[in-house]
Amino acid sequence: MVLCFIALPVFLVLSIFSAKYRSLARRAMDCVFRTATLRPCDTGLDEELKAAGIAGIMKVSPSAAAFTNRHFEAISMALAILFVLSLVFTAEGLYNYWAYGNCNGKLGGFCPISDVQNGAVLKAPKTLHGISAGNPQANVTVVEFGCFTCPYTKAAEDGVRGMIANYSGRLHYVYEAFPIANHPYSQEAALAAFCANDEGKYWEYREAVFAAQDGLRANGTSVLYGIAGQLNLTRFGACMASGQFEGLLQQNTDECAASNIYGTPTFFVNGKPFVGQTAIFDVEKEVKRLLGE
Amino acid sequence: MALDAKLLRADFPVLAASKAIYFDSACTSLKPRAVIEAEASYYNEMGACAGRSHHSLAKKTEEKFESSRERIARFAGAKKEQLVFTKNTTEALNLVVRSLDYSQRRKIITTPLEHHSLLLPIMEQQRRGVAKMEMLGVLPDGTIDESSLSAIDRNTALVAIHHTTNTTGMRAPLEKIVKAAHDAGALVLIDGAQGVPHSRVDFGKLGADFLAFSGHKMCGPTGIGCLLGKKEAFEKLDTFIVGGETIETVSLEKVVWKAAPKRFEAGVQNYAGAIGLAAACDYLSRVGMENIERHEHGMAGKLIEAIKSIPGSTIYGSPDPSRRSALVSFSLKGVQPHQVALMADSLSKIALRSGVFCAQVGMHALGAPKEGAVRASLYLYNTEEEVRTFAEAMQKIAKVG
Repeated sequence: MVLCFIALPVFLVLSIFSAKYRSLARRAMDCVFRTATLRPCDTGLDEELKAAGIAGIMKVSPSAAAFTNRHFEAISMALAILFVLSLVFTAEGLYNYWAYGNCNGKLGGFCPISDVQNGAVLKAPKTLHGISAGNPQANVTVVEFGCFTCPYTKAAEDGVRGMIANYSGRLHYVYEAFPIANHPYSQEAALAAFCANDEGKYWEYREAVFAAQDGLRANGTSVLYGIAGQLNLTRFGACMASGQFEGLLQQNTDECAASNIYGTPTFFVNGKPFVGQTAIFDVEKEVKRLLGE
Repeated sequence: MALDAKLLRADFPVLAASKAIYFDSACTSLKPRAVIEAEASYYNEMGACAGRSHHSLAKKTEEKFESSRERIARFAGAKKEQLVFTKNTTEALNLVVRSLDYSQRRKIITTPLEHHSLLLPIMEQQRRGVAKMEMLGVLPDGTIDESSLSAIDRNTALVAIHHTTNTTGMRAPLEKIVKAAHDAGALVLIDGAQGVPHSRVDFGKLGADFLAFSGHKMCGPTGIGCLLGKKEAFEKLDTFIVGGETIETVSLEKVVWKAAPKRFEAGVQNYAGAIGLAAACDYLSRVGMENIERHEHGMAGKLIEAIKSIPGSTIYGSPDPSRRSALVSFSLKGVQPHQVALMADSLSKIALRSGVFCAQVGMHALGAPKEGAVRASLYLYNTEEEVRTFAEAMQKIAKVG
């Protein structure tokens, strides 16, 4: 019976895509309706789901299947509670987004669907202290606030490079470093990238840093030297030791603070913000729109 | 010549199409291509009424229908005049139980092991005050307690009993029961639904007054069944369902009924079903009922051996395979019967039946819990390899209990 409550929304959603789930959704709905009207649920759907589930688990782990069978009621009850809680939190988040412009409401905090954090709206950067590519005179400017050791920034990187290549001459791209505090060695990576830029090898080094992101996060700054094969290592070492770009990095960070950046990557397309790992797709659409494509 | 189940499987389109391990033949059997084609031949080649119209299509239908009656009757050791077509075994059993006269003799003797198709009509006759129901005893292993045959006396109108139960696959001691009933002057009605498809049943040698069976459990079509009856036994029955073709003459004052079997076959009949069932009888005869019986005893032994080796398993009825057809009801400790059947289907596409098998009283008498049991029922197309797959699946399922 409990399973039917979970099954109903799942099968309803699946029914949109495949007709074979519609009869299951109808049976789940019948069961839910019967339960709600204090009648026994006699569709047999819960038994079928239980058997199919245990048989599936059995193929992977017989002991896990035995555990599931013996504690099935408790497990399904726990799943039902989790399901109800997730529905409640989703509803609360949607309400907050509607009422406050942020899924966390008045408290603020990270919200993947919001450009409003901690009550502050994202603001377009003005000074553009970062590394740029493309045509500075272009009508479309894309600014990315990224973090070299952020997996989301790395995930967007292919899209960024593709966009720069596709719209060469018609696009001005600027990357501003935003070393996030809980991402290890992000600040060091940003400084190393500035040092590589000083030798005219920024883009090659940037590619190497993202490629080595996991190792960098795990093993620290030695990785930054290990991937610097295309650079003059003596000069690179001196640059890193001198801290000569710390001021520039601070300017980048200040700009992030001024723009109310709260997560990476954050993009601005002619001042319009886009946040998150998959935002690059929307960024490209916006660029196309602005270029009249 | 021994039966080669692997060879026979090619005759059954469902086995080729679904790759399922079909262990639910006690519910309904699969149908060979010859039967499907024979049934379709009525719609493709005739499509008319028998016994009414005089055009050539009607005559061809009549000829096929009556020759089917003859072939089916011969298969069961009867004459064609002794065969009444019904919808299924249920209708045939209802026909006898509800149409017999109980004014002189009040008692109907039966057993708790009967299928609802037999038990319920008897209970209905008792509820209406028409007859009184009495039970023969059943021993814990599902055997009829022969000492209880003394309940059959001069007040007994009918002894109604299974040939083979659908819960254990065990046979009733029919020879002794028929003798006891006839000694007391009572009629004997045998539910042959699980017997006729699985062994050589000769109505003449059986000595019973009525024998009922279904087509769909013996490779035939659904919707067709038979009631075999002796002429003098049919004459003791009142009309049941009446209508077209059941009368010689009719006026508002008087009806002259036809003799059996026509008296009990009202309306247009299931001609396609009868032609299909005759084809099924021909098919089973070609394979050989003795071969089928031998094959099933062998399978029963392997099934029982497989189930007995599972810790916590319970087999209902006698574990002696020589006393069974290839039908075993069982339960696994800690796993509900429905779950066992559903998991077997999910794991290895094994089709099993679960529940009380339309024999709630019987399953209770055998000691099964209210949820019932799991039933594996095999037929001529099942192989040892399938039994091995079944055994492996049951071993896995038992471990979740």
